[in-house]
Amino acid sequence: MIPAYYEFSNHAKVLSGENAVENIAYELKVLEAAHPIVVTNRQLRDLGLVDIVLRALADGGIDVCAIYDAVPVDSSVDVVNDLAKTFRKTGCDAIIAVGGGSVLDTAKGANIVLTTGSTDIKEFMGSEVITARAMVPFIAVPTTAGTGSEVTGAAVIKDTERHVKMGFVSYLLLPDVAVLDPRMTEGLPPRLTASTGLDALTHAVEAFSCRQANPLSDGYARAAIDLIREYLVKTLEDGQDRTARLAMANAAMLAGVSFSNAMVGIVHAIGHACGGQCSVAHGDAMGILLPYGMEYNMDVAGERYGELLLHLKGAEVYASTPAAERPRVAVEAVRELLGDAARRAGMPMRLSQVGVTEADLPAIAATAINDGAMSLNPKDADISDILGILRAAL
Amino acid sequence: MKTDVRLSPGPAKRTKRMLAGVVFAVMGRGLVACARLDGRVRVEAGSWPEGTAITLAISPGSPRVTVRKQNGRIHTLGSRTDVPSTLLVTFKGVDSALPVLLGMKGILEAFAEHRATVKGDLGIAMSLVRCLHIVEGYLYPDIMTRRILPRPAVREAGHLRAYAGLLGTAANLGEKGAGL
Ligand SMILES: [Fe+2]
Repeated sequence: MIPAYYEFSNHAKVLSGENAVENIAYELKVLEAAHPIVVTNRQLRDLGLVDIVLRALADGGIDVCAIYDAVPVDSSVDVVNDLAKTFRKTGCDAIIAVGGGSVLDTAKGANIVLTTGSTDIKEFMGSEVITARAMVPFIAVPTTAGTGSEVTGAAVIKDTERHVKMGFVSYLLLPDVAVLDPRMTEGLPPRLTASTGLDALTHAVEAFSCRQANPLSDGYARAAIDLIREYLVKTLEDGQDRTARLAMANAAMLAGVSFSNAMVGIVHAIGHACGGQCSVAHGDAMGILLPYGMEYNMDVAGERYGELLLHLKGAEVYASTPAAERPRVAVEAVRELLGDAARRAGMPMRLSQVGVTEADLPAIAATAINDGAMSLNPKDADISDILGILRAAL
Repeated sequence: MKTDVRLSPGPAKRTKRMLAGVVFAVMGRGLVACARLDGRVRVEAGSWPEGTAITLAISPGSPRVTVRKQNGRIHTLGSRTDVPSTLLVTFKGVDSALPVLLGMKGILEAFAEHRATVKGDLGIAMSLVRCLHIVEGYLYPDIMTRRILPRPAVREAGHLRAYAGLLGTAANLGEKGAGL
């Protein structure tokens, strides 16, 4: 499949492997920066993950000019502005974000404020609005293997005054360097390992099947699913397996590149709404909803799902499954993986297990229909279609 | 040595821009008319915050249309530039815009092809896209809408009423706007 026209960019340099963090000092020199601010949260500091980065920077002769560890679970405008203020006040010249999605999104938001000199980040809300000759040098060190935020040009930041989530999409938001070091994720408990891993799987499956898919994003999605097939369960069996941890970090990154360029679809739209309305953790919503979203899209995207069977189950199953059966078997394979994650890590399989009730569904559907991810889903959906998916997954 | 290599747009580009300007005007009036005639657009526009000003434009320069919600009603402001847009959809060039404006390419396909940038609340942009799909359903015959709309066009009012509404908008509603 070749689209009539597409765009693709992934200019983040990837450092992947044992001790990758040790090379951040060198990368700062390449970026002509010497005084980074380290952005993170308290919990990650207490776990000692930030110390690994700080020690590596000290060994590399880098003076960290500030540590900002006040990032909350949901990144907000206030935190973004506060971070930008600290950056300016302390005379920093680069950002190192150590954390999950909200830490990285906060760093991206602060980078918009710092680069543009704007005092109102709302100015840049939307898609492909930001213009700049160069952003502030930005290095991302993910501590989960799921969001892929270290290689995506998207950020979601809460407007605390208006109680809405603002979306920012721009290739300029991509970090300069993404650092995948297995030490950063080996302490993740199984439950979080499972839900973030299924988030990565959802990124790959949705990116591969949505309207903006292209040959480059397809390649990344396929590679991501191959790694998830082989290593997700291994990380659940043995969290200290560094090869498996590194592989899953790579899977999340590859899926991130894919969906940053191809976007995601209805599973994310509904999942975001479940998060907003009922505080369902993102990865949990992804795991629960993915098979139902695939079934909804089946008549339009079935052929694409069939192609993914090769990656979800491997060459032998793919070859021995008749072409017409492959889409259905692909959904089964996703369910199998979710079942594995449920048995080994207690992943929920239904929305009712994460506190969603029938009474919540209309509000979730009304929010989901306005989610940007809905626009690139391969199949159109109205409120009643979304309610159908929600009821099936309840 | 000649260093000034600026070229002014050729006649073909100028014609395309003029055409885009005309279609923008029709779309703006179509939105106002549908906010009056079609319950679905009325509900969508009803959810927009008071003062919402939506602009469709082409970069660089002129062709554009703005519709604004004021006192609960949707008005078209034509190509006026003095009202700041709360949602600005800008096509990257006239060649990016025309296939969409002439009903040859779907709006969602255009976004997938990065033909336009969106400045503002993406949730309202989603609502706008649903409204524009409904407007396109009235403006174009089924043979065209089959290719560009995500599902078959459903028209609450007949084509003729819509065109009358559209002309009525042009004649009468410019100032009064469509009630919600
Ligand atoms: Fe996700």
